[in-house]
Amino acid sequence: MSASLAPECNDVKERYDTCFLKWYSEKYLRGAEKNSQECAGLFAEYQKCLKVALKDRGIDKLLDEAREDNKENDVRLLSPKNN
Amino acid sequence: MVLTHSTSHTYSHPFPTVTLAFFLRYCSPRLNPFATHVLSTDTISSHVDPKTNRLHTTRLHLKKSRMPAAVYKLLPASVTGGGTSGEKVAYVLETSVVDIKEGWMRSESKNLNFSAVLSVTEQQEFLVPTDNASLETNVNTSLVFRSRIGEKIRGKIGQAQSEGWLYGLASGLGARGIGRSIESLASTKTKDQLGKSRDGMRHVLERIRNTGVIDILEAIRRERQLGKA
Repeated sequence: MSASLAPECNDVKERYDTCFLKWYSEKYLRGAEKNSQECAGLFAEYQKCLKVALKDRGIDKLLDEAREDNKENDVRLLSPKNN
Repeated sequence: MVLTHSTSHTYSHPFPTVTLAFFLRYCSPRLNPFATHVLSTDTISSHVDPKTNRLHTTRLHLKKSRMPAAVYKLLPASVTGGGTSGEKVAYVLETSVVDIKEGWMRSESKNLNFSAVLSVTEQQEFLVPTDNASLETNVNTSLVFRSRIGEKIRGKIGQAQSEGWLYGLASGLGARGIGRSIESLASTKTKDQLGKSRDGMRHVLERIRNTGVIDILEAIRRERQLGKA
């Protein structure tokens, strides 16, 4: 799996990615399950590690700015299929 | 000052496989030898909307900068942060939504840093073709290049001219000209990269077709174990 930007988060990131990809390919794509709860614990652990790393590197501020822009983006991504 | 570029493509793989390849495409250099410029990939958020059953994902990629060296040469260190183009790392935010029932996926990627110098936004839409059973997937890609360098440095130009770095350049191009040059240089380079990105997706798609995703995950895990040893 590709690395995390924070090497200290690599292990938990890898476990989460593996969980997600299995859930995505075996359940979501087959319409079998509505939520990825089975990966929720790993995701929380991964985010706990990542949040610290993003803050340390000042990336959290860049993300906040982008989130503002993304409000417009959401409108496009969620608009009804138009072709 | 905006430049746009649009292109369409058809993958000879079914839609679910293409969306899986989208999530897997930066997994490992062995899986995708066309993505060696991707330094890291992190998931920021991921959830399924319980009403629509759509999967919403936000990821942050760190990539070795693709901004051409010529662009850096046009700019003062006060704008680029100094250093050579080879040392630059771009933070790219990717948002995506998959609707497996309706058969579409949309994504948007854009750079978070240097966005005052040059903002590149890539939008992709993956669709099940209407006239096809489900063996192919169409993808429409659009790229928007926007440089705000003209606005940003117009105020600095007087000072820059007196300091000498903009001498000759400013007289020939002016701030608007610099912005336009950045857009056109970057778009030429990024369009070259589009072909590579497609090759990368095709490579991942072939692997999924040949070995399946579980074998891919297992191979990546072994690769990492070897890397650690």
